[in-house]
Amino acid sequence: MGKVIAVHSYKGGTGKTILSINLAAALVKHGKKVCLMDLDFRAPSLSTLLKVEKADYWLNDYLNGICGIDKVLIDLTERIRDGGKLFVGLANPTTEAIRDISAKDRKWEMRALGRLLSLRNTLLNDKGFDYLVFDTSPGLQYSSINAIVSADLVIVASTLDKSDVEGTKRMLKELYDLFEKKTRIVTNKVLYGENIKSVKDVRSQMEELYGVPILGVIPCFCDVSRAKGTLIFVEDKPDHPFTKIMDEIATELEKMKV
Amino acid sequence: MGTVVSKQGVLGKKHIRMLEKIRESLEKLNEKMEIIIELQKHGGREIQPLPETPLDVMTLLSMPDHLRKTAMTVCRLGRATAEEVAQQTHRARAVESAYLNQLVIMGYLKKERKGRKAYFYVEKENQG
Repeated sequence: MGKVIAVHSYKGGTGKTILSINLAAALVKHGKKVCLMDLDFRAPSLSTLLKVEKADYWLNDYLNGICGIDKVLIDLTERIRDGGKLFVGLANPTTEAIRDISAKDRKWEMRALGRLLSLRNTLLNDKGFDYLVFDTSPGLQYSSINAIVSADLVIVASTLDKSDVEGTKRMLKELYDLFEKKTRIVTNKVLYGENIKSVKDVRSQMEELYGVPILGVIPCFCDVSRAKGTLIFVEDKPDHPFTKIMDEIATELEKMKV
Repeated sequence: MGTVVSKQGVLGKKHIRMLEKIRESLEKLNEKMEIIIELQKHGGREIQPLPETPLDVMTLLSMPDHLRKTAMTVCRLGRATAEEVAQQTHRARAVESAYLNQLVIMGYLKKERKGRKAYFYVEKENQG
């Protein structure tokens, strides 16, 4: 059976979306059938980054009970050469949709959780997807906690920023642990200096700090920032070190039992 | 001879039905006792069911650990007996039965009896 992965973080700007896109792409490159979903309803970005200008139905519609998930998914397999299959489910980026979803009550959020949980059956069991990758909103928000509860594995993107590290530590204890979620950390945007000289240093220091395994360490690549999110590095820059790290993370995920 | 056998058969069936009713009543009684024990253990004094309350993630987060585990299992399964929940949580059926009934009293879950089995679920209207 497939796996549901939620990519989450304490703060915004940790690189969740770039990580989600490239992780999904790396898994597709490994021959997997992957569905990438934008669950960041407050600041949707996949439609822009993946250059999908129009969608007939959005994930908002699915969670509102207007349509089935099959109407939402868009086949982007041609975007990744030589691999499995890539589908995406997008969040509606219009201000009206963001306003609408921000005003939902607890009953609606509970229904949304039920609908997210049912994706395991519809997509993994019935449609044969190997992975569902949820890109989420940062922090403790309904949509992201719903995604976390529905996931088998939570990948937490964290930088070395002190407030980010402290917040991530708190979330490990007060959020993921409470839901008994398997959690892995990806330390992103690492700048090496006096105290941290290598990947090994980051791994050992962060593992000691967080008490959970580090899935990947990604240095701060100017190329990634310079691309402004318009490139899928795994596809467009196959020889880039960032791509190599994504490939290693995908391999690690495949080995993982959840 | 044939009539005697069939009469015995009818009597046997009646007997079994009666025993099943007794068993059902004993199970109901057992459940009620489990609720009382559980409520006393966790300091609850009133056994009045609370009005229906949405079982959303923030509510799940604020629940005591032992109840969260049970509630999350029902969320995942959709509809389940105490036995089915116990298989997932690896806790005793009687313990899960008590927790499930407590969640019913708190207004988070609904309970429906079908024959000898009691099913627990999140209110359908709420689930969409």
